[in-house]
Amino acid sequence: MRTAADPLPFGERLQMLDERLRELADLSAQLLETLRSGHPDPVLAERFVAVWREAVRGDAVLELFREVERERQENQTLMDISMKLSSSSAIEDVLQTILDSLRQVVAFDAAGIFIYDRDLGQIEIDMLVGYEGASRELIHRKFQEAVKVGQGIVATVIQTGHPIYVPDVRHDPRYIAVRHTTLSELAVPIVLRDEVVGAFNLESDIVDCFTERDLRSLTTFANHAGVAIERARTDQLRQHTRRIQEEIFLARRIQATFLPSTTPSFEPYDLAGMNFPSSEVGGDYFDFISITDNDMGVAIGDVTGHGVGAALLMANFRACLRIESRNNFAIHTILGKVNDYLYETNIPDSFVTAVYGVLDRNNHSFSYSNAGHNPPFRMKPDGSVDFLEVGGLILGAFPDALYEETTIALHPGDVLVFYTDGVTEAHDADGNEFGLERLMDLVRTHRDLPAVQMVRRICDTVHDYLSADWTQDDLTLSVIKYVATIEG
Amino acid sequence: MKFANTVKDGILVFSLKGKIMGGPESAAFHEELRKSVAGGQRKVILDLGEVEWMNSSGLGLLISALTTIRNGGAEMKLARATDKITSLLVITKLNSVFESFRTVEDAIASFA
Repeated sequence: MRTAADPLPFGERLQMLDERLRELADLSAQLLETLRSGHPDPVLAERFVAVWREAVRGDAVLELFREVERERQENQTLMDISMKLSSSSAIEDVLQTILDSLRQVVAFDAAGIFIYDRDLGQIEIDMLVGYEGASRELIHRKFQEAVKVGQGIVATVIQTGHPIYVPDVRHDPRYIAVRHTTLSELAVPIVLRDEVVGAFNLESDIVDCFTERDLRSLTTFANHAGVAIERARTDQLRQHTRRIQEEIFLARRIQATFLPSTTPSFEPYDLAGMNFPSSEVGGDYFDFISITDNDMGVAIGDVTGHGVGAALLMANFRACLRIESRNNFAIHTILGKVNDYLYETNIPDSFVTAVYGVLDRNNHSFSYSNAGHNPPFRMKPDGSVDFLEVGGLILGAFPDALYEETTIALHPGDVLVFYTDGVTEAHDADGNEFGLERLMDLVRTHRDLPAVQMVRRICDTVHDYLSADWTQDDLTLSVIKYVATIEG
Repeated sequence: MKFANTVKDGILVFSLKGKIMGGPESAAFHEELRKSVAGGQRKVILDLGEVEWMNSSGLGLLISALTTIRNGGAEMKLARATDKITSLLVITKLNSVFESFRTVEDAIASFA
């Protein structure tokens, strides 16, 4: 690389010039004295001229002034770039500014900034200037191809992490022609925290055009490009995270509107229910709906899918269920209407499994229909279990689905348990499922506790069982105990 | 989830593999199915033998597939559903809607 343009460091040259000028000032004072006194000193005069010549030799002073000007320019453009970086400009704007500013500091005919995606092994963004003549698409593709297969100056710089200077491209086998008038090329890596994230490439139509000075300037600008890339990536990540969090937050708020806040009292039945929303917010639902003084609607549901769409569908389900249940229809009719309504509510790939029933405390019976949901069970005092499986299809999937209903008689000491698959499919660290058997055993163990404590105790057990690595679904459990009254 | 398809005796057999959990891969499968049906395919079998796991979101895939099939005047049957999937189909009562066979050959024969 040419270095004749800068024989000594700038600071030293400035100092030398300074000393010359001081010397000149001294000599000039002495010379003036001799002239005034009428005794001119030819030796002194010669010395003065010699130093004068030295000081203004060649372009030394002009060079220094040019140097100062270039430093000033570079600092100004770096300030412009810093301003752009700290504003919220898009990465493309910042890179474009860097390219435009570099022109004021380094002479080139074409330049490109390339950002490299290590995982994909290809160029992700590029900013080009000066590559006229061929279409942009063609240029993009040429660079993309070359880097992908590891050929060319830019690819080599990205791979090795070292700058490359080609004073004459006609003599370098690594060179791949993208621009036909190019004769010299200078490329530096863009490094971010020890990782090469791209390259900054300059091309010139002049042979051996670039100097050490240019290399230093280019490296400085490349570092700024690196910072810009870092900032853009962080911003993107932050935006993405924020969007996800907003969606979860919204879905949770929707879910909060359809979960009961209090449990009604309904003696001699002890009712309780709990819901633990997951981080994914699937949208479980459970409810106790007062229909008449002696009739309590009981519901549990689970929507497939996640996020706001699923939560909305569940909110719709609850509204529809509550409205239809006020109309004194048979249970199977209610579910049929709800199914048709959900089918028309076009949220793709989202369906609802649910159980809806009515607890009658006069007749001590429970009438219900199960629409594709995990079967609730009734546990008798002796520990034996009946499953509540009569019903029909998962809701919202097919139009005009038909539902059956049935009634079971309840006796003192019976416990009705409703749950969602968040309970039975909870996985432990070894990948084993919690399962229905375990749930039934827990009910056997804790059945004498008040309903609310029983639910809490079982949920605690499920939580203890859960592995931290398992993406847990919403956990919902509700129970109805027919409390035996103590006679006598 | 991955999927592949072959044609046997004029019947399109989709083999699903991996975990069916909904998401973009399901969309790709669904698109492929839709194109086949639109292109005139009337008989489809879903081979679930290599499906490791399916959750309720995965059900969405089956249901959407069935809807597409029916809208196109075609028929779809299941083959080699694991115990877990079968129990899911039973709980959701979807077993009344899907015909399921132990082997792909049995499913093919049932179309005759």
